[in-house]
Amino acid sequence: MAVLAASLAPLAATAQSMTPMRGEVRSFTDAFAVRVFPGNPYDQRIRVEVHVYDQDFQPIDAEISPSTFLLAGQASRPVLVVVPFDGATDRKVRICTESIPFPGEQTQIRAQICGKFFGHRRS
Amino acid sequence: MKFLCAALTAAVLAACAGRTASAATGNVLFNGTITATCTLTVNSNGTMTVSSNLQSLSSHNAGGSAGSVQVDTTGGVSLSVDPVTTTTVPASDTTATTWTPTFATTGAQTIAETGTATALTVPGTSTVAVNLTGTKSGTNRFSAGGYQATVTVRCE
Repeated sequence: MAVLAASLAPLAATAQSMTPMRGEVRSFTDAFAVRVFPGNPYDQRIRVEVHVYDQDFQPIDAEISPSTFLLAGQASRPVLVVVPFDGATDRKVRICTESIPFPGEQTQIRAQICGKFFGHRRS
Repeated sequence: MKFLCAALTAAVLAACAGRTASAATGNVLFNGTITATCTLTVNSNGTMTVSSNLQSLSSHNAGGSAGSVQVDTTGGVSLSVDPVTTTTVPASDTTATTWTPTFATTGAQTIAETGTATALTVPGTSTVAVNLTGTKSGTNRFSAGGYQATVTVRCE
């Protein structure tokens, strides 16, 4: 699928949970793409999941590559997210990086960093 | 002719008199844009204890402890907690429980305990205390066994 990928340059990746957290993309196709960089601020390896939601936090069927991965301590890696317009001319989405909680505790905390991205379709 | 040359030289010298050599200057501009960033680091999970009337299971109760999360941000983001959807309760507990997550921050920005999304406008490092309370109403009571709940802390 031909997709116009936005040029969303990351800032310093070390100890950033996800960059960028804002973005606006113009696409001439039926989808738009965003490249985000989840980061691991911990010293140990963690499991990271990337999800895409709409404005009401309903999941969106986007292509996320990769959507789940292990990330070394103090490291980051690029994740490509391709979001379909689904017939709309504009679409606001949240791309969220979630860390998997430590197991075996009574009250687990799931950290979630969400970026807001706005896709415009151009004809 | 000699007089003419001397007169021209004198005229040029007179024209240059009082002028100082000027250096050329130029400004070099530097621009930088910092977009909103946020890092959440879970320092510790929380512990809930049951109240004496067995109707509250909370990190606020005696012996309980809040979870701790460090947030580093440039500002321009908001912090929130999601309603609790993932819980594990003992098989003997068959009655409904209302779970209420809350958070408060200290450090770069102080936020009084709340359950609603709050803007983080001050850049820097803050510590988030995450609390969770399970409540039973009427004649319902918490029962013996292990309880576990997951609270999602969101920075966006």
